[in-house]
Amino acid sequence: MARNPLRDKVAIVGIGSTRYGRDLGRSELALGLEAAVAAIRDAGISPGEVDGICGTGMTPLAMGGAGFLSLQGALGIERCTWGKNGWLGSALVFTVEAVFSGLCDMALLVQANVRGANMSRSAARDPYRARAARYADVGGDVGLGDFAKRWIHSGEPYAAIMRRYMHDFGVGKNAFAMMAVNCRTQGTANPEAILRHPLSLADYEASRTIWDPMQIADMDVPCDCAEALVITTAERARDLRRKPVYVHAMSLGGTRIGEYYENFAGWRDNSFQVAHRGLWERSELSLADIDLFYPYDGYTMDAVAITEAAGYCGIGEATDLFRSSWDASRNLLMLDGRVPVMTGGGGLSHGRAGGANLYAEAARQLRGDLGERQVPGASAALISIGSFFHDPSAVVLRA
Amino acid sequence: MTEPDDPAVFAYFHDGHVDRDNIAHYRGLMRSRLLVNRCNECGHWIYPHRPLCPECLSFSVEPAEVSGLGRLYMWTLIHQSRDPDKPLATPLLAAAIELVEQPGLRYLSRVVGCPPERLRHDMPVQLTWIEEEGRRWPAFTPLDMG
Repeated sequence: MARNPLRDKVAIVGIGSTRYGRDLGRSELALGLEAAVAAIRDAGISPGEVDGICGTGMTPLAMGGAGFLSLQGALGIERCTWGKNGWLGSALVFTVEAVFSGLCDMALLVQANVRGANMSRSAARDPYRARAARYADVGGDVGLGDFAKRWIHSGEPYAAIMRRYMHDFGVGKNAFAMMAVNCRTQGTANPEAILRHPLSLADYEASRTIWDPMQIADMDVPCDCAEALVITTAERARDLRRKPVYVHAMSLGGTRIGEYYENFAGWRDNSFQVAHRGLWERSELSLADIDLFYPYDGYTMDAVAITEAAGYCGIGEATDLFRSSWDASRNLLMLDGRVPVMTGGGGLSHGRAGGANLYAEAARQLRGDLGERQVPGASAALISIGSFFHDPSAVVLRA
Repeated sequence: MTEPDDPAVFAYFHDGHVDRDNIAHYRGLMRSRLLVNRCNECGHWIYPHRPLCPECLSFSVEPAEVSGLGRLYMWTLIHQSRDPDKPLATPLLAAAIELVEQPGLRYLSRVVGCPPERLRHDMPVQLTWIEEEGRRWPAFTPLDMG
């Protein structure tokens, strides 16, 4: 017998459909939105009750159509703790599993289709369909023919956000510098780290400016790498040779800002904040139980904002927190005097793995077999990976 | 001056993602007018150009011209280009301009007529137009307080 623990546990409560036509003269997003609004009205809920979205597409980002980020932004849904794109039969399955697992309670599934430019001769002559096909399902540097689209899934706005952070909270770059130096110090104990030599605060200050005020020492190290994890049920895990590491609680976090980063919603309403609120609402462990902390460091701005979102300090207070957590003799952060940050060195030292190396490092620490850089007695880790705008996870793993 | 038709807009913006939800905006740019979608029911401004008002769920959305007044919300000075074949001769400024029409309504643009070291958060700016490789684009310049 296969397991079916979700039997009768999930139901469809609203349905919305658009007209069907050979040429309705509408964008894929417009069609998806019409169906979405109709389904929301049919269910008798408000858009704000939606906390998970499965959009249309086979890529995780959401450009060029009715992807989950564009849908959330267009519908003005303030926060979601789950989001994904799907297509064909998988889309319903993704959505049901998200609801069943508790990652969201009211999921919206939207599948929009248009007659593609490659599907008929008349469609191929339609400039709208041709242009949509050219830009479908891609992220980053899209539409650079128009400067106003330059910050779609771009890194540059993080530099502007960094400057805005310093302005809004009246601080300098100390928090960013300490995070960068900390990760490089942690990386010295990782034989696989791309940058295994330490960085001093003076080195940080002297590092090259890339996107003013962001410097190269604020940015993770591009590299070739891969990480993989095998994940199974707790029951099955008990019979395997390795000590299991359990997923205790997790959340995603999306906001209505979507993929146009100039619309950054500020310090209280960004995806890091949503994900961590979602996590702590689901977790029985709290910050006091966490022994290891892995704030994604694609840019130091991410790691600083994640530290604040996790609840180690208030928004804008990382500078004071890091100063009081700084071990100057070792150039290391120790939060609350006991929690190391980013063992293994993270993206700034070990290398740019999209955060996957943070999950792997945390799991190895919790198994207790990391040799020289093992943190003795570590039994719970907080790993938070993603961006202000899309796909942030907040995960508690425990031994 | 007559409105450019759809083929003219597609041809002019041959390298951009023109779609049915933003073509009126691009048509406006060709005539040096900055248009942003606005809800006919409740007046809410909608940017990026989407066909639905998130405030009242109305699909009655129409492009309207903005005043061109705003404030500098945030900016970065790009020293290094991603493309090694196109190094930057001088750093490139990218600035998010918060338009006066609505809190949080921002347009990514350039600031001209002001050296980077004199930029300040929230400084008032106004719309102007710049020429770049044969096309006119919106840009912003410090508001003349005189």
